[in-house]
Amino acid sequence: MITFEGVTKRYPGGTVALDDVSLDCPDGRITVFVGTSGGGKTTALRTINRMVEPTSGRVLIDGQDVREQRPAELRRGIGYVIQHAGLFPHRTIEDNIATVPYLLRWNKKKARERALELMERVGLERSMAKRYPFQMSGGQQQRVGVARALAADPPIMLMDEPFSAVDPVVRAELQDEFLRLQDELHKTIVFVTHDIDEAIKLGDKIAVFQTGGKLVQVDSPENLLAHPADDFVAGFIGQNRGIRTLSFAGTSDLRLSDDAVRPATADAADAAGLDWVLVVDEGRRPLGWTRPAQVAGALSTAPLAPVGATFRVGADSVRVALDAAVLSPAGLAVGVDEAGAVIGTAAGTDLLAVPTHGDGTHDTVAAEGDDARGDGGGAG
Amino acid sequence: MDIDWSWIADHRDTLTEHALIHLRLALLPVLFGLLISLPLGVLCRRWGWLYPPALTIANVLYAVPSLALFMIFIQYTGLTASTVMIPLTLYSLSVLIPNVVDGLASVSEPVRQAAIAMGFGTLRRLMQVELPIAVPIVIAGTRVAAVSSISLVAVGQLIGQGGLGYDIIRGYQLQFQTQIVAATVLIVLLALVTDAILVTVQRLLTPWARARGKAAS
Repeated sequence: MITFEGVTKRYPGGTVALDDVSLDCPDGRITVFVGTSGGGKTTALRTINRMVEPTSGRVLIDGQDVREQRPAELRRGIGYVIQHAGLFPHRTIEDNIATVPYLLRWNKKKARERALELMERVGLERSMAKRYPFQMSGGQQQRVGVARALAADPPIMLMDEPFSAVDPVVRAELQDEFLRLQDELHKTIVFVTHDIDEAIKLGDKIAVFQTGGKLVQVDSPENLLAHPADDFVAGFIGQNRGIRTLSFAGTSDLRLSDDAVRPATADAADAAGLDWVLVVDEGRRPLGWTRPAQVAGALSTAPLAPVGATFRVGADSVRVALDAAVLSPAGLAVGVDEAGAVIGTAAGTDLLAVPTHGDGTHDTVAAEGDDARGDGGGAG
Repeated sequence: MDIDWSWIADHRDTLTEHALIHLRLALLPVLFGLLISLPLGVLCRRWGWLYPPALTIANVLYAVPSLALFMIFIQYTGLTASTVMIPLTLYSLSVLIPNVVDGLASVSEPVRQAAIAMGFGTLRRLMQVELPIAVPIVIAGTRVAAVSSISLVAVGQLIGQGGLGYDIIRGYQLQFQTQIVAATVLIVLLALVTDAILVTVQRLLTPWARARGKAAS
């Protein structure tokens, strides 16, 4: 665990970068420092590996003051990823990744083997090992940056806006892979970003910094959305706070209705009185929507409107389900299982009946720790 | 212009010998210049206040005519090669110091920060990250210094140490054009070959530098 105890950083001239910051970054979790620029979040990050020394207060790793270790040695035990990757232009990809193992005097063969293994881990082909950074795209460079930070298997990773300099599509991809990697590795991660959506998507715990280096709120993403501590935090979180809270509500307890689901072999007359029905095949996979009133005979002959978005029951959040409902011609969200077979449908109003108070008492998707917790950021 | 080809054929050995002396007189000062500029450039980069005075001194030295410098050093080192090489070394500084400083400055901030955060100490960072990244710019400066040194060294013949400069002055005294032309062509060739070798060395040392701007961003 990383502990900040009353950490203050005052620069000569009076600028205060950190103002009496106290917080814990729990083991195996992602703690996100978020805030406006000049809020001190990067400064706070850098006190952990002694790239910044506090004016007062102290930073502890597992109870030990970081100042008890020589900076260079301390840093070799802490992974570090920065915005523009900061790859060494004169070293090949494998040697970039093996930087810390080399500093730790691993033998070259072992270090390079480790580098190749990590390339695969972060989704790079081994054949790129002998390339130089200038031959890689921004997204690939960032992956190398992550691999480099992981090379000596440090228990702690510091990440300073690692995904900010790539385009939104690549960013979302890197974020998803990062979460998947974290699920395997369980590192203690401190992640700095100015993007609240990224914070909500990635963070297990979010610390909001305000200009002047003040820590204004430390909370789970759900609580942050549901109960911002003050106007600054509320303003920083921005619009659609309520809808975004739904990202943390699970769909496993939803009550789905089978009423509007019909096999293609059924006769339209069976569904008389229904505005729309969802036509499914023998495997209950959705084929499309149709209005039974406009069809004579078997539904298989009916003109079908596209199914559109569906949600995976249990895995996806209520937000995804609501999105599916809004986009569906029938106003009904289609819930499917892993195989894509229809479980049932739910109307938008049914979805909102799920408790989403962000009070931590309900079963949240985030608590299950799967990829569905990412919905908040992607659509926001 | 009449060229006496048979004279050239007869004096091949002498010309070769003069060319080798010429190269040595010209290039050793560049090497010494590098040995001075590298640490000095590192210090200038470390303490910014040092750079303006260091550069001013190097530029002022460059402005002093070589002949005047010879006269100054002749009192201490006599009519020896040192009297030619010391001024040439000083001249090379005005190109090499700024190139070392610029080369070190070409290490982008993220790269420097990453090196610190990975746990490189100051010296190791300098040797393994900053100086290697500075190599293309340092070699670019070395090329300019080497070529100008090869052309400047001929003046050394005024104190009897000029390599191919001897043949130029001798040819003038005897009104023998062939010797002047042969020496001049050789000096230009030496400059071209030296430059080509330095370019090759740079390519081999820095295969990563072909898209420098992109890599550094």
